[in-house]
Amino acid sequence: MNKYLLPAAACLVLGTSAAFAHITLETQEAAVGSTYKAVLRVPHGCDGKATIAVRVQIPEGVIAVKPMPKPGWTLQVKNGKYEKSYQPYGEAVTSGVKEVDWSGGNLPDEFYDEFVFRGTLAADLPAGQKIYFPVVQECEGATTRWIEIPATGQDEDALEDPAPGLNLLPKK
Amino acid sequence: MHWWRAAFKRRAAVSVGGMSVVYFQRIERTVGRCFGLLAAILLLAVLATPNQALAHAALIKAEPADGAVLAQAPAQFSLTFSEPVSPLVLTLVRPDGTPVALTSFRLDDQTVAIDNPQKLGSGTHVLSWRVISADGHPVGGSVLFSVGAPSQAPAVAEAVDLDLRSAIWTGKVLLYIGLFLGVGGAFALTWLAQGVRWGQRFVISAILCGLVAAPLSLGFQGLDALGAPLARLAQPVVWRTGLGTSFGWTVLISLAALGLGLLSLAGPRTGARPLALAGLVGVGAALAASGHASAAEPQWLTRPMVFLHGAGIAFWAGALLPLGLALNSQSAEAGAFLRRFSRTILPVVVMLAAAGIVLAIIQVQTPAALVDTAYGRLLLIKLALLVFLFTLAAVNRWRLTALAEAGATEVRRRLTRSISVEMLIVLLIFGVAAGWRFTPPPRALAIAAAQPASIHIHALKAMADIEIAPGHTGEVTASIVIMTGDFGPLDAKEVTLVLSKPDSGIEPIKRPATKPGDGTWRVDNLVIPLPGRWTARLDILVSDFEVVKIEAPIDIRAD
Repeated sequence: MNKYLLPAAACLVLGTSAAFAHITLETQEAAVGSTYKAVLRVPHGCDGKATIAVRVQIPEGVIAVKPMPKPGWTLQVKNGKYEKSYQPYGEAVTSGVKEVDWSGGNLPDEFYDEFVFRGTLAADLPAGQKIYFPVVQECEGATTRWIEIPATGQDEDALEDPAPGLNLLPKK
Repeated sequence: MHWWRAAFKRRAAVSVGGMSVVYFQRIERTVGRCFGLLAAILLLAVLATPNQALAHAALIKAEPADGAVLAQAPAQFSLTFSEPVSPLVLTLVRPDGTPVALTSFRLDDQTVAIDNPQKLGSGTHVLSWRVISADGHPVGGSVLFSVGAPSQAPAVAEAVDLDLRSAIWTGKVLLYIGLFLGVGGAFALTWLAQGVRWGQRFVISAILCGLVAAPLSLGFQGLDALGAPLARLAQPVVWRTGLGTSFGWTVLISLAALGLGLLSLAGPRTGARPLALAGLVGVGAALAASGHASAAEPQWLTRPMVFLHGAGIAFWAGALLPLGLALNSQSAEAGAFLRRFSRTILPVVVMLAAAGIVLAIIQVQTPAALVDTAYGRLLLIKLALLVFLFTLAAVNRWRLTALAEAGATEVRRRLTRSISVEMLIVLLIFGVAAGWRFTPPPRALAIAAAQPASIHIHALKAMADIEIAPGHTGEVTASIVIMTGDFGPLDAKEVTLVLSKPDSGIEPIKRPATKPGDGTWRVDNLVIPLPGRWTARLDILVSDFEVVKIEAPIDIRAD
């Protein structure tokens, strides 16, 4: 009996609210230089209101981003210049997708959904650190901004609306 | 009502002329009793005064803020007040309790910027300040801040010095006696009595008393300004400081007025009247030079009103004793004295009362403040004494008329007592008026209560000035100015004010700010339920995906 209770209790204490309440990434770690499939999990609306748009900002170093279309949602991307040039396949890449918007849909508060895009993590991203994908969740008459990035030394759990983060692993 | 006419009637029954020794002894006894009573009233007033530190000028912002914990010692301090002030004493008390005098400062309108000459170690420091504003009344306070981490705060005493207060009050009462009974008496003797100078010795004594009290008051004012004990009265800096305040003018003009009054009696009779008149003008000017009432707005109204009130009191109170003695003397000139006095006193009293009423309305503002504040209570006591003074004459008239047939000696005895009682009431009124020196008027209290609570937050990415007005509990308005961390313009998409008080168990109050169009952000109809230290946080949405959160403590007063 105890064998099962203890891990269950630990699970409840350690891994609770963050995963349930916030918009998070399904896979929270990936190696630099690899292709990463980001699945944004949207667990609820804004203060009970239905979600009508999800916008995500692509951080510097995540290149060649391609979002997955979603039935019932209008997909748009905003392109822009990168801060520097990347050479994933030998050729210099200096611009690409900086923001992905899914809009025009309707996701009631009672339901759950996922929003997917794929990108390449540049090889020179600092392994061992974390990058963040700030998300703006727009609802009917309300907005929640999952855009807080912890300052150096700040506890991520202390943030009210943290941006989804990804731990960078060393290149394989 | 016209007590002087009543006195005239009394005179008709008086048969023995001249002043008696008994008469003076009685007055002396009365004056002695008077002082005891005055001291008791003052003590009551001082005890009943709720917040001594909250006088005229109020500190509205300090940098570093009270309670702030800083990473490094600041290069300078700044204190912003509700009105322009002059610093009197600025001291930095180090964590080990050693004081460092801060002498290098600049005045910029309402802000005092003070250089920090010392390298500060870590721990809690106290910035102790004492400043003076236009009404000539010093105020003090202190700001605690810590470098590195807080430590045990060094002890700084800001206690009420009762000895000094008694000295200031006594000096003020004696100065009033000199100005009103002395200079006013000289005016009455030269202009109204003309011939015989009844009570000249008393009037000269009053002037001499004022001539001693005026410079002493200056020293006491200097001590109060510096927050120094009575023992330091001999130090030159105390006197220089006293002279530097607006009360310095009151003392200088008083001395001139007292001198003129003395000259008018001691000098040749030909030049006596202009000198006495100049003295009377000086009395009004001396009072208008400093004090709560003179410092009140609008100045074009309050200063002339204080002038008229002061000159009027001198005219009336100064004539009281000479007139009484004249009536007692039964000489032929006494009738002429009384006639001249009676002709002029009515407009003077009307002017005196009108000026007093105007000043009271400006100072007290609401009828409730008459009861709620120490200042208002003193005014009520003063009014009660005045009503008593006026009714006394009427009652005397009725009783003395009835007694007229009882015999001259009896009526004279009663007349003597009547004048003694009137003098006592006048002295009591002086004592009450001198008590106002320690009670901020409701007008100033209202200004202080309406002062906003404000803080300045400076972080790497953004800085902000938050002003919550009024800075007490209840419905308030928050006004916010934001800038980038390097003083550049910051065009935010949204600003949200979050007020929290974790120790109170109240959920954070989160309110979006609006842009009224003048470059600021506002939160209207905000209700702050509890006084104390709140944390004000600003969530500044710089762009769609970037938020900057900055916070600092802000102190909210009780309503």
